[in-house]
Amino acid sequence: MKIQIFIGLTCLGLLFGGCAGKDYDPQKGGFFGGVAGLSSGGYKDRVQDREARLAQLRATQQQLNAETAGLEGQKSAALVKVGKDKARVSSMQAEIASLDKKSKALAAKDGADKQRVADLQKRTAALKKQMAKQSSSLDALEGSGLGDQEVDLRRKQLEQQRNALRREYELLMKMQMELAR
Amino acid sequence: MTRARLCWLALAMLALAQGVAAGPVEEIAQVLRRKGLDPPAENLLQTLAADNLAERLKQIDPFARHFRPEEYRSPLSGYQSWVGIGAELVPQGQNVLLSLYHGGAAEGAGIADRSRLTGIDGEKIAGWDLARVATRLRGEAGTTVRLTVVAPGGKPDTRAVTRQSFRPLDVEMVPPGNLKVLRIRDFVGGLTRPALLATVGFVKATSPDGKKFLHDPLIIDLRDSSGGDLYEALDIAGIFLPAGTPLATLRRSGGEHTFFLSPAGEKLLMPLVFLVGPDTASAAEILAGILQRQGRAKLVGQRTYGKCSSQTDQFLSDGSILRYTNSEILFPDGGSCSGTGLAPDREVAAEDFQDISKLVQKARTFH
Repeated sequence: MKIQIFIGLTCLGLLFGGCAGKDYDPQKGGFFGGVAGLSSGGYKDRVQDREARLAQLRATQQQLNAETAGLEGQKSAALVKVGKDKARVSSMQAEIASLDKKSKALAAKDGADKQRVADLQKRTAALKKQMAKQSSSLDALEGSGLGDQEVDLRRKQLEQQRNALRREYELLMKMQMELAR
Repeated sequence: MTRARLCWLALAMLALAQGVAAGPVEEIAQVLRRKGLDPPAENLLQTLAADNLAERLKQIDPFARHFRPEEYRSPLSGYQSWVGIGAELVPQGQNVLLSLYHGGAAEGAGIADRSRLTGIDGEKIAGWDLARVATRLRGEAGTTVRLTVVAPGGKPDTRAVTRQSFRPLDVEMVPPGNLKVLRIRDFVGGLTRPALLATVGFVKATSPDGKKFLHDPLIIDLRDSSGGDLYEALDIAGIFLPAGTPLATLRRSGGEHTFFLSPAGEKLLMPLVFLVGPDTASAAEILAGILQRQGRAKLVGQRTYGKCSSQTDQFLSDGSILRYTNSEILFPDGGSCSGTGLAPDREVAAEDFQDISKLVQKARTFH
């Protein structure tokens, strides 16, 4: 047993001795490097080392703060855009609701082209559903971590989809006006 | 209440129940007789009954289906948000592959797309059916499931995936996004075409080299796209062809034919490659087929499913829904893909088919 303890302690000593002899650069900051640096210099050296490291940390911190501020800026700009998108969607939803009401009135009118009115109603109902999806997608965007690439892409997709839905709405409005004549 | 009254009440309820069940059956027969693509034989329609509806409908029209209101999902609804691991299960023989959504929890946990799922929470899934696998993968947001997977060409690995609320994009960018590889899983009326245009615009805006962008092929992965809205597929085909180019002909009940031409508007001119396979069906197949036959796109992968017909949903008087085939789509040369599928211009062996990087490499060197 005593021989085993002796061999163990010898190995441990060789291990630490070997590492301490390898690296004396305290700037590397690893456990063995730090121990080696502290043991190799006087008090003044250690203070200088710590000041240098502190300065480096401060610089990194400033850089991170600047990046965070940039991201926050992007996020609030994106939030403003999403807010505007939501306003557009809710105004379109109000217009579509009015179109839906007029289509229903048309369906009740005598002598109306039943087939076309039915088509108009079907498409208006589809448009209503798609606008509801737009609205819920924008709600989800508002709660997400805005600013990354995927969120930007999602917003672009929603914007283009809304433009397409706007064109469909305008077409249905024309159809409704023709049918009302 | 006397015994006689009880009997009358029971008989009345039975009659009512039969009336409810028989009503839609007669209505279904009428719809198929009047509006079905090829009206079925009258003797088959006469045998339709509430207790054999699903089976008889399949005999009459292989794509027909009757939905109860609570199980129906409109093709217009597109993707809603859901809670889960952010992946679809793709059966492949005895194996189950994970088709990952970009930005989903499984991708975030470091699982590679199309990895083979071999275990859930330490249990091997060999011999399980898809429903059992899906049930075990479901759970509340914030809960964790440990998945054992084998990445394409990789070794088994176990990863903890925390389920989260997720809303997929209508058109996804396949990482790395700057390679112009997009994925469409579903064709949603009025939404997929603008989403595709927006995504191409987005990739272009973030591409470091604008000129190269025009010459490199746009690769669209349709391997998991089982269809959706037919008109959306036609609208998308129109983006890639000059105005006035024939897209397709719709053959409807009674021999009625409708011709579709590419409309004027925004066009995309870069070379185009579709990644296709046995699960590419219906609207996806029609889009790929039109552009292949017009010489505008190349197909890379494996033979497609073979369904060039279109279904429509009819609401019945009891609130249930009948989906039935109402048109067949013919390509500009008069051919159809029904029953045969589309043959790829470049066939990819099974071992490479699940590996997106190998597929993309083949697509980029082939176009």
